[in-house]
Amino acid sequence: MSEAVDLSFLSETERDLILKVLQRDEELRKAEEKRIRRLKNELLEIRRKGAKRGSQRYGERTCARCQQSLGRIYPKTNTCRGCNHLVCRDCRTPGTHGTWRCKVCVKEAELKKTTGDWFYDQKVNRFANHLASDLVRMSLRKKPTAGKRDTVGQCLLQQSQLSETRTGMKSTQEPLKEFSLSFDASEPRDGKDSLEPESTSVDNSQVDAVGDTWRNPLEKVGTLRESKRSSEGPECSANKAEADDEVQPLGQSLGSADETEMIFKKNPRRALRPSEYTRSVMDLRPGDLSPGNGSLGDRSRSVPGLIADMEEEEEEEEEDIDSLVEIHRQKTARSSLRSGSSWSTLGSMVSIYSEAGEVSNILITGEIAISLKYEQPSQTLLVHVKECRQLAFADDIKKRSNPYVKTYLLPDKSRQGKRKTSVKQGTVNPMFDEIFRYEIPKSLLSQRVLQFSVWHHGRLGRNTFLGEAELNMNSWKLDRPLDQWLPLHGKISAEALASILPQKSELVVSLKYIPASKLPVAGDHKKSKVGDGGELQVWIKEAKNLPAAKSGGTSDSFVKGYLLPMRNKTSKRKTPVVKRSLNPHYNHTFVYAGVRLEDLQHVCLELTVWDREPLASNDFLGGIRLGLGTGISNGEMVDWMDSAGEEVSLWQKMRQYPGSWAEGTLQLRPTMARQKLGS
Amino acid sequence: MLPLVGVIASTSHLSFQLETKVQQMRCIFQNKTTTFYNHEMGSTKISIMTDGDYDYLIKLLALGDSGVGKTTFLYRYTDNKFNPKFITTVGIDFREKRVVYNGQGPNGSPGKAFKVHLQLWDTAGQERFRSLTTAFFRDAMGFLLMFDLTSQQSFLNVRNWMSQLQANAYCENPDIVLIGNKADLSDQREVNERQARDLADKYGIPYFETSAATGQNIEKPVDTLLDLIMKRMEQCVEKSQVPDAANGGNSGKLDGEKPAEKKCSC
Repeated sequence: MSEAVDLSFLSETERDLILKVLQRDEELRKAEEKRIRRLKNELLEIRRKGAKRGSQRYGERTCARCQQSLGRIYPKTNTCRGCNHLVCRDCRTPGTHGTWRCKVCVKEAELKKTTGDWFYDQKVNRFANHLASDLVRMSLRKKPTAGKRDTVGQCLLQQSQLSETRTGMKSTQEPLKEFSLSFDASEPRDGKDSLEPESTSVDNSQVDAVGDTWRNPLEKVGTLRESKRSSEGPECSANKAEADDEVQPLGQSLGSADETEMIFKKNPRRALRPSEYTRSVMDLRPGDLSPGNGSLGDRSRSVPGLIADMEEEEEEEEEDIDSLVEIHRQKTARSSLRSGSSWSTLGSMVSIYSEAGEVSNILITGEIAISLKYEQPSQTLLVHVKECRQLAFADDIKKRSNPYVKTYLLPDKSRQGKRKTSVKQGTVNPMFDEIFRYEIPKSLLSQRVLQFSVWHHGRLGRNTFLGEAELNMNSWKLDRPLDQWLPLHGKISAEALASILPQKSELVVSLKYIPASKLPVAGDHKKSKVGDGGELQVWIKEAKNLPAAKSGGTSDSFVKGYLLPMRNKTSKRKTPVVKRSLNPHYNHTFVYAGVRLEDLQHVCLELTVWDREPLASNDFLGGIRLGLGTGISNGEMVDWMDSAGEEVSLWQKMRQYPGSWAEGTLQLRPTMARQKLGS
Repeated sequence: MLPLVGVIASTSHLSFQLETKVQQMRCIFQNKTTTFYNHEMGSTKISIMTDGDYDYLIKLLALGDSGVGKTTFLYRYTDNKFNPKFITTVGIDFREKRVVYNGQGPNGSPGKAFKVHLQLWDTAGQERFRSLTTAFFRDAMGFLLMFDLTSQQSFLNVRNWMSQLQANAYCENPDIVLIGNKADLSDQREVNERQARDLADKYGIPYFETSAATGQNIEKPVDTLLDLIMKRMEQCVEKSQVPDAANGGNSGKLDGEKPAEKKCSC
């Protein structure tokens, strides 16, 4: 596979035959996907029933799976080798040589086998070298990145379907050339370099169109067709086909125009496939065994901001067990909600991460009555949410609001830190009278800000923001109970929030770019023809003042990196976990190969710090994005190119002095929601 | 026993699709085949083999020189039929078959029986399809590397195929079985068993002599390969389930990890 798989040598009939084979393969693959989804749901179900969670208070001596008390005389040898949890006899499965694992661990292993993950993981690893070397160039070309389960057959089929679609719209003389294989793990293709400037120029010429295409994929198709005429070459058009491809699933106007419909009909696979980001949504729905993926995708789109937030929070591409954990988080989140549908939780989850929140025209009114008490012996903050009055109407016409209150002890915005009241139906003067407990040492509490936000619980999870109020714990003397009416106001900005939070988390990183010319020549790797790419080294040194996510005021943290625009396995890097420290030293280096100097202005390094929570969700602790912060990548408006201040200057420094380390101490953003450009 | 499984699976799915006609259909399908290929199925939506009612999907791939009998071997294996005509495979094709795999229990006792859905990729041996066929290597979990016992050249080319596999499969040492086909044509034989077995030993892979024409030894190589894959799978999973504590200890790693980082994308 040292060259591109060019299938132009095939005759028409041969091509048809192969296509039929690929279609059969696709049928099998679809059934397989369905089966895998079912299997993964089974695991989630087991987990949900009995995984110990950080937020729950459980006795030391209970089984992590069934929560049965283990009694006092249980010996220490009763921890599962897989997850280190105490597990009772009933929740074990014997393994070889008299060993045993707990149910969840066994199920996980089984899943790895039955889903074929054992194989796909290896496959991904094997071809990761190529992926890495081609990573940036590929992403600049807006090539959709293949998941680990993607097969050659699948890629081929998609290619041909795309080319078919276009042949249907206008007669192309060279359909066969477009039917060329270009799965992403392939070697750098011949003539790639010569084509590079060409395709870039095409992109530039489309800058204007790009914004619109989010709303109307058709326009893009149109522009592409036009620009295609100007720039001939099968490679080029293939790339553009992929560009279409990317836009289509995200397009909001599914089937609104005849032509779009045609595309989707002709291309059943695409049409059924929900947008990448909604895939995880699908998974977390209970009993999602129905094949109607398309509708699910549509529905999730109706949840404001969901797609963007899922992108941020989830790694949809990952179908491995890691991501299940994250899905699991949402499942439990949902089940913990006392009233309302599943979507309500999702909706409010969204609100956690998007500072902008749902766009609403509601004029915030009213106030909230609360009282606080700190119980010294148990180190617990008691938050009494009493009532609200004169809240705004979420539905101005019906004059209705179904309010509930949510609290966080900022900066902790994790699920564990969230408390919610029940929903009061049809009132703007709700009486809640609920008490929330936060276990937190006095010293840490003084660095927190207690946030109350009031939400309208709408139908279909359209939760509407009705106002919020913050209380700086620093200004409250803990030994005296506090009883107060707080006026509600609009959403506090991330900057304002950062300014009232006394504790600032920081990450110390050092960056180095090594140009290809200075790289040691690759040795035995037959295929490591990195060629024109240099290497980006990211030395994650340490973090300071991380928020405490675990009881006892510590975090088990690690840093995760992505080189955007790639947000998948190939660009993902992780440090080991440093346990029980708010000032962890990671001392770990991420390496991205195949990066050219000019690529550095188009990519953005996203580093996020997480608290590792085995068997539950990892908690987001903060993050940074290193890049030029221009808002533009490769001629396209992108929201992740939002670096500012030190983030930009460090990146600049690294670019200016190739071969030497550029070090910086960067303040962690409390949220990775896209910052407003220019701010 | 094995084909029967396929039939059962087929009919159970049919009963869902075509409730009342099950009886008639069963006859038809028993007489015909348990697997379907493109020319028959075309765009028909009903596909019996894609009901997802199995425990493992295992993807195998047959490779070797043109004319060694890959297609006929697979046809014999899935349908127990032989077609003496030589029809060259266009690029790629696949067949399916459901088998039962008897795994080993925790203590070596006979374990659970698993339903395994085999997807058997057939590749064109012809050089002109090479770029296409090798691309499919990476998606297969195991390989049936075939040569023609009556063709010395096809045997010599086994080396080349091996290096192709090493370069393009999902890992550098995938599970492979070597198959010398056309064992029934003993008078035309050009490769003796000793030679072939030595080569197989050199690579550390099992060797079988088969005949798609007579059906001799057809199931053995596939069963062996499946067994190898299932064992590898067990090992893979076993290895990856390292206790958490072991991972937590090495958090203070220094720069020395860089090379490993390069190789691993996760």
